[in-house]
Amino acid sequence: MLALDVKNLNKKYEQFQLKNVSFQLKKGYIMGFIGANGAGKTTTIKSILNMTQIDSGEISTLGKNFIEHELDMKQVIGYAFGGANYYTRSKVKKVTNVIKKFYHNWDEAVYSSYLKRFDLDENKKIAELSEGMKVKYNLALALSHGSKLLILDEPTSGLDPVARDNLLDLFQELVEEGEISILFSTHITSDLEKCADYITYIHNGEIINSSEKEEFINAYRLLNGDNSQLEEVKNHLISYKKNSFGFTGLIHNKDFDPTSNINAARPNLEEIMIYFSKREDMYV
Amino acid sequence: MYNLLLKELKLGVSPFFYILPFLTGALMLIPGWIYFIVLLYFCWITVPNLCGTYKAQNDLQFSFMMPVTKNDIVKAKIAVIVILEFLHIVVAVIFGIMNTQLYPNINNFFLGPTVGFWGLGFIMFAIFNFIFISMYFKTAYKFGAPTIAAITGAMLFAGGAEWLGIQNSMFFDLFKGSNSNNLFIHLPILFAGIAIFAVFTIIAYHIAIKQFRKVDI
Repeated sequence: MLALDVKNLNKKYEQFQLKNVSFQLKKGYIMGFIGANGAGKTTTIKSILNMTQIDSGEISTLGKNFIEHELDMKQVIGYAFGGANYYTRSKVKKVTNVIKKFYHNWDEAVYSSYLKRFDLDENKKIAELSEGMKVKYNLALALSHGSKLLILDEPTSGLDPVARDNLLDLFQELVEEGEISILFSTHITSDLEKCADYITYIHNGEIINSSEKEEFINAYRLLNGDNSQLEEVKNHLISYKKNSFGFTGLIHNKDFDPTSNINAARPNLEEIMIYFSKREDMYV
Repeated sequence: MYNLLLKELKLGVSPFFYILPFLTGALMLIPGWIYFIVLLYFCWITVPNLCGTYKAQNDLQFSFMMPVTKNDIVKAKIAVIVILEFLHIVVAVIFGIMNTQLYPNINNFFLGPTVGFWGLGFIMFAIFNFIFISMYFKTAYKFGAPTIAAITGAMLFAGGAEWLGIQNSMFFDLFKGSNSNNLFIHLPILFAGIAIFAVFTIIAYHIAIKQFRKVDI
């Protein structure tokens, strides 16, 4: 079953548009949603959750049309936009007491266990929590009402490496039993190398690629060569950088001739992102 | 919707705004004053502060994160306004009754706290709600222009009613003359006021949900 199915999402703003955004997340997996700042990650997430009115497209969550079953879906989807940044002058306890009334499946024992695990003090005001704690608070809320799908917008940005690592471990633990699926956006690609099963890459409002992580990375090759070799492959490169020894450039694996003498390596996600964004600069 | 309303009353509205009606209501004890002002304090103080709090506390995103629809959010916010308006009127009425006991023989230059006067109060709030609600939900965070427009509408109505009470002999007779204690005339005015309040607020709600649907949160 698909936990999330986004089909041909279009949304036009004056300066920016989402163009035919489509991707699928299978139940029980973690999908990393990557893209540079302003690439459309948050807009896509907000469109999925009906927070912005889309021009066209269809969104299904847990097998049901989201808009038609909005209330039911919101009961079983947990989402967080960064950390808790609402009613910051109120105590955690007070905010939780208000929130839990909304959910049929609120489990106080689960909530308490996450508070303990995250070392969250209920008597603190939200403003007194660190950024990492705010993210954890949001997660504790999302996990305590039995969410089957977690949609998290940049949950790791602003966290220190230890907190990030803990969070990623938690994500993996959550999906272990195959019931919970997670979509999380980030621009910190090393997070995904640690824990994502699938990668969806958005650039300038368009999905460049959405596939299983290894497959995603293997679709590209990072080439290293001298200037004469650059001329050979220049037209096939996604983009390249010149340096004193020659060039480094990204190419689609299918466009690369493995019999050539050019040194080819497996890129990492960050390199893929960087060369794709460079493509625009080169042709503008 | 009920949970959302509870959320508004517990988190969104500062306890100060539940006390304010008593502070402003006590102004009903000033003899011969312009009593519309007592109700107008709600428009001048509570509404912009309430909206400012929503904006500062990122309320829109918070509300939308709950399992509710956009219509529920509009409904709950309007319900809060209506509840607070009723609180202002009810408390003012109590102080108004004390006013009539304290000063039984006073000749009010402006409209006194008669039963019908509260009907006019409801109409004033009806005008305020209609303008404010139908403008505010275009963005659901910009409250300056909607508040100013709605207050202007409400004050023009109050000013007009006071002017009629001074200039028009029939109106004078109704509110300050021989008919000022005639419940057969005053009660229908009160009920008509409440009916107008309900109709205007419901129409404003329908305009608001149409506008709020287009708002990107």
